[in-house]
Amino acid sequence: MFLDKLMSPKTAVNQNLDIVMSNYQTNKPGDDNNRTSDHRNREEFEETPTWAAVVTVLGYAILSALGWLRDFLRHIVVFTRSKQISYECFYTRNLYTRIRDVFNQPIASVAGAKVHVMERVSDDYNWTFKFSGKKIPSINLGSYNYLGFAENQGPCSEQAIKSIETYAVTTCSTRHELGHQRYVKELESLMAEYLNVEDCIAFGMGFATNALNIPTLAGKGDLILSDKLNHVSLILGARLSGATIRTFNHNDMKDLEAHLRKAIISGQPRTCRPWKKILIIVEGVYSMEGSLCKLPEIIELKKKYKAYLYVDEAHSIGAIGSRGRGVVDYWKVDPNDIEIHMGTFTKSFGSAGGYIAGKKNIIDYIRVSSHSACYSSSMSAPIVQQIISALSIIMGRDGTNDGQKRIQQLACNVRYFRRQLVDMGFIVYGNNNSPVVPVMLFMPAKIAAVNREMLKRDCAVVTVGFPATLLTESRVRFCISAGHTKEMLDHALKAMDEVGHLVSLRYSKKNPHHRWVELDHADYDKEYTS
Amino acid sequence: MNVGIAQGERNPNSSWLNSRGVWLTYIILVFVLHFILLSIPYITTSVAWTLTTTIHNLCNYYLFHVVKGAPWETSDQGRARRFTFWEQIDDGIQWTGTRKFLQIVPVVLFFIASFYTKYDKTHFLINLATMLLAVVPKFPIFFGVRLLDINRY
Repeated sequence: MFLDKLMSPKTAVNQNLDIVMSNYQTNKPGDDNNRTSDHRNREEFEETPTWAAVVTVLGYAILSALGWLRDFLRHIVVFTRSKQISYECFYTRNLYTRIRDVFNQPIASVAGAKVHVMERVSDDYNWTFKFSGKKIPSINLGSYNYLGFAENQGPCSEQAIKSIETYAVTTCSTRHELGHQRYVKELESLMAEYLNVEDCIAFGMGFATNALNIPTLAGKGDLILSDKLNHVSLILGARLSGATIRTFNHNDMKDLEAHLRKAIISGQPRTCRPWKKILIIVEGVYSMEGSLCKLPEIIELKKKYKAYLYVDEAHSIGAIGSRGRGVVDYWKVDPNDIEIHMGTFTKSFGSAGGYIAGKKNIIDYIRVSSHSACYSSSMSAPIVQQIISALSIIMGRDGTNDGQKRIQQLACNVRYFRRQLVDMGFIVYGNNNSPVVPVMLFMPAKIAAVNREMLKRDCAVVTVGFPATLLTESRVRFCISAGHTKEMLDHALKAMDEVGHLVSLRYSKKNPHHRWVELDHADYDKEYTS
Repeated sequence: MNVGIAQGERNPNSSWLNSRGVWLTYIILVFVLHFILLSIPYITTSVAWTLTTTIHNLCNYYLFHVVKGAPWETSDQGRARRFTFWEQIDDGIQWTGTRKFLQIVPVVLFFIASFYTKYDKTHFLINLATMLLAVVPKFPIFFGVRLLDINRY
C-alpha cells in the first residue's frame, strides 16, 4: 500500500533484480508461437507518432495552465457561479465540463442497431443542460450488442414477457432462502452445456460476479497475477480478497513467466513461505484495446508452474469463436484446462447478470460460500428467460439456424469494418477478429469533435480519454453488432471518413491514407458476401 | 467518475509523466519560454537565461513540492491527499527514469545558464539558489518530510 511505501521507499535496485530474473526464461522458440502469430489472428498496436504525442501533451498543458488561471481568477473575483474550489475537482471543473455534453448522453429508445439519442442544449457552457425535445435517430456504434439480441420484438422478448405471467417479476428473496427458482436451474444447466463444462452458477450482476467471487476463491497467502489492463471489477475483487497482487504487462507472456518464477522462488513477502495458490486472471477480450488474450501460451505456463487460471469472458462469450463459445472456442483449447470460466450475460445475450462455470466441486463451493450467492437476491424471471431464449437460438435448439447466421454476420461485419478503417489510414488497435474497434484520436479536443461530428452525421459513438485511458491514447471505440446491416456500416464508414478528413485522424505510418471514394469497394463487397 | 474507466489505476498522477512524449514536451516548453524571453527587447542573453532558469525552478518547486493531492477524484480513497506531486510519482518508488530525468533538468539548465552568463557572480548566486530549491527537495531523504510543519496538512 502507499503508506507502506512511505515507510520504506522501494528503490529501483530491487527492480533491477526483477530484470535479472526475467532473463532466466525458457520459452522455446516457435513453441506455441505458431498459433498466436497466425495471419488471421494478427494483433496490431501501432505506436503513437512522436509529434502527435507532443501535441497531445501540449494540449493538456495549455488546458491545465488556463485552468490554473481560471481558478486563480475565481479565487480573487467572485463569479456568479462560484463553486467550492477544491483541488480534487480541478480536472472535472476545467477539462471534463468543457466536453461534458459528449458523455452520458440519454437515449430514448431500445439500444439496438439504431438508437434515438436525445438532443441536449446548454446555455452556460455545459454546466446545466436542457432537452430540446428533438430525438436524433442514429446508428448505434456504442452498445455492446454483439449478436443483436437487444430488441423489443421477436421470440426472445415474447417469451420473456410471457414468463412474467407465470413467475412474476421478482422472487423477493435470496437463493439460499426462498429464491431458487427452476428457471435459474434451467439456465445454469444450459450454460454448462453451452460451455462444455461440468457446472455453472449464475448471478444477478456481472460486476458483482467478479468483485464478490474472487474473494471466495483467493485469500491471504495466495498470489494473484492479473493483467495490467484488467477491468475494475477484477481489480476490486482481487483487492477485497486480501491476496498479494502482482500485475504483468498486457499480454506479455515473458513478463508473466518472469513473475511466476520470481514468485515461486522467493515465496510470500517477509516470511518466504510457499504460496498457498497462484491465480492468473486474464480477460478474453479487453474492451478498451480490442485485444484477445493468448490463451494457449497461458495454459502452457499454467501447467508448467502449477497455477490456476481465471478467464473473464465478458466481451468474448457469444461474440468470438466459430460457434460463439468464446475464446475457448476461438483458440480450440480444452475447457477443462481453465479452472474458472467467468462471463456476463449483458453483452451478447441482451440481458443482465454474470456466471461462473467450471468443475462441479468448485461451483458447489461457490454456491455455499460466496457472498453474492448468499446475500444478493436471485435473478428475475424475464431476465433469465431472455438469456435462455437467446442461448437456445445461438445453440440452434429452436430449430432454425438463426444463431449461426448471427455469429457469421457479426464476423463478416467485423472483418468488413476493420479492413476498411485500416485501409483508410486510421490507427486501429486490437485483434482482427474482435468486435471492439478502437480508433486512436490522441488529442483531447478531438474527443469532443469526433463525437459531435459523428452525431451530426447520425452515428452515436463512444469516445474516451484520460484518465480512463493512458494520457496520450484517447480513442473512439466502435462496437460492431450482428444487427448492423451493410448499409449501416457503409454509412458509418462514410461518416468516419468525412470526420477523419475534417479533424485529421489519419495517423498511420504503416498503411497509406485513402479517402472512402478511393477504395476499391468491389473487393470488400466480394469478401463480405463470402 | 468519468466515462468507462477500464483501468484500475488508483492515482493517474503516478503514471502520466511516464507517457510517451511528456519528457520531450517538457523540454520544448522550457525552450519556448526562453525564446519568449529572448524576444523582449531590453533583456540581454544572460539575463534571459537566468530568468528562464529562475522561472522554471520556481514553477518546478511550486508544482512538485507545494501543491498536494491530485487534481482528480481518485479511487485510492484519499491516500494521496497529503502527498505532494513529487511523492506521488510512480507510487513512491525512488530513482525511476522519470525521477532521474526531473532531477537532471534543473542541473543542466544551471550549467547552460552559467555558460551564457559568463560565470558572473550575481547571476551565479541566483542560479545556484534556485537550482538548489528545485533539486534538494527531490532527494529521497526528504521523502515525506515537512520542515517546520510548513505545508503539512
